[in-house]
Amino acid sequence: MKPSPHPPTAPTKRPLSGRAFAWLCGGALGFNLLLVIGQLALIAWNGLSYFWPHDLVEFVRVDGTRRLGEVHARERFRPDGHDATLELPWRVQVKGANRELTGTDFEWLDVRDVARSSTPANAIHVERLEWGNFHGYLGEVRRGDEVLASGGAAWPALEALIERKHEARAAIAELEQGDFGDVNYELEQLRLAPQRREIDADQARQDASFVELSERIAALRTALDAETAHFITADGRESVQTVGAIVHALRPNELATLARLMIWAKRLLAFLVDEPRESNTEGGIFPALFGTVLMVFLMSVAVVPLGVLAALYLREYARQGLLVRIVRIAVNNLAGVPSIVFGVFGLGFFVYGIGGTIDQLFYAEALPQPTFGTGGILWAALTLALLTVPVVIVATEEGLAAVPRAVREGSMALGATKFETTWRVVLPAAAPGMLTGVILAIARAAGEVAPLMIVGMVKLAPALPVDHHAPFVHLDRKFMHLGFHIFDVGFQSPNVEATKPLVFATALVLLVLVVAMNLVAIRLRNRLRQRYASSAV
Amino acid sequence: MTMDGPPDAPQKSASATALSRLTRRRRQDAAARVIVTCGGGAIIASVLGILLFLVAEVIPLLQSTQVESSAPIAAPSSVPLAALGDEGGTHVVLLGADGIARAIRRRDGAVVAEQALFGTSDDDAITATFTCGSALFGDYGFVAGSADGRAASVAIRFEQQFTDGVSTISVRIESPIEFVVDPDGGPVSACAASARQLSTAIVAARADGALVLVESAVEQNLFTGERTIKNSNRKLPSAAPVRTLALDGRRENVFGATADGCLLWWNLLDSENADPRVTVVGAPITALALLLGDQTLVVGQDDGSLTSWNRLQRGGGRLQLVRTHDFPRMRSAVVRLAPSWRDRTFGALAADGTLRLCYATTTRVLWEGAAPIQDITALALAPKNDGVLLANAGTIQPLRVQSRHPEAGLGAFFGKVWYEGYPKPEHIWQSSSGSNEAESKFGLTPLLFGTLKATLFSLLFAVPLALMSAMYTSQFMHWKLKRWVKPAVELMASLPSVVLGFLAGLWLAPRIAEFFIVVPLFFVAGPLSVLLAGWLGDRLPSRLRHRFPDGTAALGSIGVLALALTFTITLARPLESACFGGDFLSWMRDSLGIAYDQKNCVVLGLAMGIAVIPVIFAIAEDAFSNVPRSLVSASLALGADRWYTVTRVVVPTASPGLFSAVMIGFGRAVGETMIVVMASGNTPVMDWSLFNGLRSLSANIATEIPEAPEGSTFYRTLFLAALLLFAVTFVANTAAELVRQHLRQKYARL
Repeated sequence: MKPSPHPPTAPTKRPLSGRAFAWLCGGALGFNLLLVIGQLALIAWNGLSYFWPHDLVEFVRVDGTRRLGEVHARERFRPDGHDATLELPWRVQVKGANRELTGTDFEWLDVRDVARSSTPANAIHVERLEWGNFHGYLGEVRRGDEVLASGGAAWPALEALIERKHEARAAIAELEQGDFGDVNYELEQLRLAPQRREIDADQARQDASFVELSERIAALRTALDAETAHFITADGRESVQTVGAIVHALRPNELATLARLMIWAKRLLAFLVDEPRESNTEGGIFPALFGTVLMVFLMSVAVVPLGVLAALYLREYARQGLLVRIVRIAVNNLAGVPSIVFGVFGLGFFVYGIGGTIDQLFYAEALPQPTFGTGGILWAALTLALLTVPVVIVATEEGLAAVPRAVREGSMALGATKFETTWRVVLPAAAPGMLTGVILAIARAAGEVAPLMIVGMVKLAPALPVDHHAPFVHLDRKFMHLGFHIFDVGFQSPNVEATKPLVFATALVLLVLVVAMNLVAIRLRNRLRQRYASSAV
Repeated sequence: MTMDGPPDAPQKSASATALSRLTRRRRQDAAARVIVTCGGGAIIASVLGILLFLVAEVIPLLQSTQVESSAPIAAPSSVPLAALGDEGGTHVVLLGADGIARAIRRRDGAVVAEQALFGTSDDDAITATFTCGSALFGDYGFVAGSADGRAASVAIRFEQQFTDGVSTISVRIESPIEFVVDPDGGPVSACAASARQLSTAIVAARADGALVLVESAVEQNLFTGERTIKNSNRKLPSAAPVRTLALDGRRENVFGATADGCLLWWNLLDSENADPRVTVVGAPITALALLLGDQTLVVGQDDGSLTSWNRLQRGGGRLQLVRTHDFPRMRSAVVRLAPSWRDRTFGALAADGTLRLCYATTTRVLWEGAAPIQDITALALAPKNDGVLLANAGTIQPLRVQSRHPEAGLGAFFGKVWYEGYPKPEHIWQSSSGSNEAESKFGLTPLLFGTLKATLFSLLFAVPLALMSAMYTSQFMHWKLKRWVKPAVELMASLPSVVLGFLAGLWLAPRIAEFFIVVPLFFVAGPLSVLLAGWLGDRLPSRLRHRFPDGTAALGSIGVLALALTFTITLARPLESACFGGDFLSWMRDSLGIAYDQKNCVVLGLAMGIAVIPVIFAIAEDAFSNVPRSLVSASLALGADRWYTVTRVVVPTASPGLFSAVMIGFGRAVGETMIVVMASGNTPVMDWSLFNGLRSLSANIATEIPEAPEGSTFYRTLFLAALLLFAVTFVANTAAELVRQHLRQKYARL
């Protein structure tokens, strides 16, 4: 690339209109860059601050009532009958908790009504399995009627207890998902098995272990729920929380910045590896992350051989003529066909067409409950493979075309067959091009949501598509996806305002995934171009 | 790139090994050729097969209705007044003019059940002659009026029985309900009935013109099983003798027709006015039928005209019968009409033996042809819409009908359609209906309109920004800067649209609604501030200016624009207070009458613009950069300045490439789905206001296709929408690609 030539003479007086237009063009570019930076910054800031342990502020109103919560926003507002000449007063949006007591999460406080505010060190922020967060002050910890700790000793006791409950919950989860899940799985298999004879014994055995396991789990659950923490809320009400239902508890106001940073990192990690709770509005995004990655992986497995084979045919084997030119244009254009069209095709062809046929042939015993005849991860991956195959074809072709003719001719001249030349010489040289295509395809697939909405994504999948039951990867299962998670939690949940920070965090994860892959692809492509720009001469 | 070195082949027996190796290599080569050719060809074919699949799913929508005659069945010789068939098509029941309902098995023509309609309740077993009779609607049964002033209705039950795994249908004709219409024994000129579980309503017309409405409810004692019949009578006045009658299922409306061409409508809910409302239609009315949903009344006349009527509010809010649809005129008088139980299809039979199947909502004639038998007196559509029954004295002629999507058609998709309950024909998309009785409205026009509107607004925003920045990047920017700027803009392309949609719908939309005035303000202040900064930059000492590479100004303008944005936001509140009474949007609503939805085209245009900008930018930048250097150098050498060269040399040369950039951007915008789903409000309205929402084809498919049953009209209509999207984007992209290739060849010659 040559540096753009400067005007040969010293800048003369150019007409002002021309220069003005050039400035505007520069402004347009600046605006585009501002949009990119702004969006990335917006998502990064909102997504990352979701995990930050904010201060709990106690507001005491003029009338003596108290409100404990995080400060969510501040703004000037226009009260009714406000004198236009005066400055507008401030108000504070408090994000409270205790949904079961107050019913609302957010409240606007007029600053003029607030007598004083403070950040009491003993204010506790509790993250619960149900009902969202809890804010309050700890009174005592009890087991049944026995007081385990109270006063100053209550907080350390609670912290230790919560730690132990983590392990207890993990043990229950392991039982439920492991042994109990196995028994359930076996029972389901028995129900579907067509030969009834030898099953009865099996069935009885499984039924017995089902009962035994249920009892064990019930006992563990009782032990889990034995202890209670007794809180007092800011407005003076008493509230009893089962310790077994507490995920985390912390006193944010007494934390130093470094400690907050630790908690921030811990929460961020937990977000990535935890299951969602409260119909996706709390907890982590692990199933969605896993579903996205697995689906993209399956798609790449499908798309790479298909795309490379098609590109090889088009560039190396087909006779270059009008037909190939038309096909090339058509393939190129398929990359521009809306993704929803591929989704519609996937639904009609894969799900109802192929899936329905597979069900009739192999899963007839489960009908009318569809197995493959409904959306699933396999169909989603294949649909996206079709969607992205043009990208791979085009990039691979570009890579193949960039391999200089001389290299090929050299190989042929040495006596290699066409296959040998292609396999040993051309393909290795074109590998970066192929890789670029694959990465671009993956990036596109990871961010694509619309076609998946109709071929297999669900709000809440009961099980991951991979587990320890044969055949381990269940291609017929529905799956969760980061993109759909954003849409669903952001637009379909009852309390959009409260879930927005979580959506920002999810969007950030998706964005990091997609942008990282795109950056890698862009770099690869640039290196490829440089390499051939120099070697082709 | 490593290659196997030439093998140090041993000299001995070389020829044999070498030969076999050569053969193997040749085979390998041939095999690879076959695999790649077949595999690659197959992949490309199957990718292109998407189009074929979509077309194959859509074609049944436009297929015409097929009608075939089945073998005729011998029937009793009495003249049939009405006929009906069961769902499975195993039996036909005829109501003969001799007063007997007979069930005939289609397989062998045997009469399996018989029931006289009169003379069962009392002893005088007179075989009355019938003057009129018809089949009930929505339930199996007949109603008939006799020459001696009586009317009766009878219910028919088809019962399925399993014996040894074989299902057989048996027919039971229940005992009729009979009452006296005219105590003087005058003939009943017309009758109609509606049956609803245990209650039956019959309306019958006497020769003197008066109408009698009888509702009889059968009450069954739970313990004894004893049935008591309760009758209630009501008289309806009429000026002239009524020839045909129709009664709706809710028993709220009675329609009648007189011989002099008047259409009468009694509103039974109207307690003040018992008299019918009279509409003069013209030629004598020969047939009447209410269609499914009891809204549309089809009227057949003596001169062959076929129209449908609806009760609509006209001037002064009064309900009136309004002619809503005109069907093509039949060649002779319409003698029989038969409605479908499933949809708005109806059959019409003319005096000359022409049979026609019509779809009422779209006035589409599904099929027309000569009936295979003569002197037909009874016409019925099969309950599942899969057949027609014709009967005359002595023969029953069943027809098999294949009409899978009668409600489809180009008129239904793209034209204005007069739906039931609407005051005038309109473009409407309303796929989901609560019940079978409501029509689905498959007008794609509002969705096409929404797609175009969203595309237009996003391109209005994106095209200038993208082209200007592409021009700046390629012509005014130093290559070192360009290396960073291009990937940055391309990064914009990788933002998933679901993230953009989320930002637009949940972050941007409420903020714009709050500070709407910032949008127009920034539209002015942004460019102005850039100009100002440029002018100031020009005043800088040239030594300082030349320290930065060309194009640094663009980076500087980021800061300038950010400042301008902050400035306008700060300015917004005071300006609103000063000029617009505190709130711009309520001022707009009150003074200009413009309603503002939070999710509107401004938000949508911005968000989709952001999605489209990088696409256009990438191609436009290519087009600008590919303008041969020699042209630019020549222009500069001739003394033109930089700007003159750009506008007079670079832009014209690159213009086909710019066109293709815009076309590709257009294709991207047309198909954008998630942003529209999340930021448009999804309301299928049709107007050009900037401040309301829309629904696009793509968003509509994404939200509705999971609910569409496979193979239904709804499902295929969504496939048609997908096909339209495919076609539009494919054409746009092909045009762009052809232009680009042409351009590349041209440059190669330069």
